[in-house]
Amino acid sequence: MLEGKVAVVTGGAQGLGRAVAVRYAAEGATVVVSDLDAGAAEETAREMEGAEGVACDVRREADVAQLVAGAVERHGRLDVMVANAGVSTVGPVAETSLEDWRELMSVNLDGVFLCVKHAGPAIAGSGGGAIVTMASITAMAGVPLLAPYAASKAAVVSLTKTAALELRDQGVRVNALCPGFIGTDMVARHRAELEQGLGIDLEEALEHAQGGFGSEADVAGVAAFLASERSSFSTGSAFVVDGGATASLV
Amino acid sequence: MLADVDVEGAERAASELDGDARAVRCDVTVAAEVVGAVEATAAAFGGLDVLVNNAGVEISKPMVEHGDEEFSRLLAVNVGGVFMCSKYAVPALAEGGGGAIVNIASVAGLGGSPLLSAYCASKAAVIRFTEVCATELRDQGIRANAVCPAFVGGAMVDRMVGDFEAATGQGFEDVVAAKQGRLGTAEEVAETVAFLASDDAAFVTGAHYVLDGGLTAALL
Repeated sequence: MLEGKVAVVTGGAQGLGRAVAVRYAAEGATVVVSDLDAGAAEETAREMEGAEGVACDVRREADVAQLVAGAVERHGRLDVMVANAGVSTVGPVAETSLEDWRELMSVNLDGVFLCVKHAGPAIAGSGGGAIVTMASITAMAGVPLLAPYAASKAAVVSLTKTAALELRDQGVRVNALCPGFIGTDMVARHRAELEQGLGIDLEEALEHAQGGFGSEADVAGVAAFLASERSSFSTGSAFVVDGGATASLV
Repeated sequence: MLADVDVEGAERAASELDGDARAVRCDVTVAAEVVGAVEATAAAFGGLDVLVNNAGVEISKPMVEHGDEEFSRLLAVNVGGVFMCSKYAVPALAEGGGGAIVNIASVAGLGGSPLLSAYCASKAAVIRFTEVCATELRDQGIRANAVCPAFVGGAMVDRMVGDFEAATGQGFEDVVAAKQGRLGTAEEVAETVAFLASDDAAFVTGAHYVLDGGLTAALL
């Protein structure tokens, strides 16, 4: 599906990013696995054919600019950017420090902004391609204790729409991917806090809402579709992969 | 299995496809014909895995000029047909361990468009109907999703262009270029339908996937 394409995946050493990178490589893409943790990026890249690991702090513009420029220099082009790197916190709005809020936004929103800003022209210069931003269904509905995360993801969806319109004439499609609750380390880390804070059994709640946890591979399948020419008329939209969670009011 | 009220057209189309394709007459507003189409499919191929609810009609004229009966007729095909086919396909889909329903909705189900009052209402109904099906059918392993294309090149758009230009005073091509970059193609819609029917979309249900060149992303 992605033969001959060069793709960058930020936050690619673990979780959803890693699953997307693995799938892209399996589909024939040359994958630049970018991660804050250089060692983890390289280790992940070694598991794939034709991939490389690159250190990148998506909060730093110089890092993101170099990530994109380096990919183009070494591989001659850039076709796909997956702006995936993200972090999460758990806690009520009333107890969230401004510092923590800004720190989360610097990764989840600034990071996606910088990736779109720098990858857009590079992809356009390669004749067009696709940007996939990693949002979340928390962009569409509230979840107590996840305000900073949800707000950052809603902003990512908004940024995606405007960037799509600006880049359309240059052949660059921009779409947001909105997973439901996926069985990632990120969710596992917050599980106890969420269960205690919300007074729920997460497994039970998700069974009802989305038929259980989604898998990382489930998200990677949609990410592959959005990066490929199979979705050539889609841009500026949010693609939900959530087992029906947002389809139901109750 | 190609199901159509125009069974000769369906047979012609089936003969042009690679693989084992067949045709059956089906008026999606008639329960007996829908049941017959599902049974014919199961008999011919040994089961049913995917239902694409595509049959639909359009009316393009001002709301006050929609005829009372033609309005009802449109809803009967565009919404009633989706209901009818989904309802009668579920047992066959479930029997095979699950499957996928893909409904052809439209961006007209997400926002209003002049002259398309009945059509817009019908496609909005299809999106909502899809969401309920997804929730109700999940435990049977059946996923239900919708696709929402913007204007796609083809007979339906050809029929509408004159009315659209007369009513809005805008050139259709200009509107398409400004709002969605270009016309979509039927093949592009087919790719998204194929994706939603595939295992890659295993965790996608109750969703509506938009292919509109940015039309619904824009405010202006």
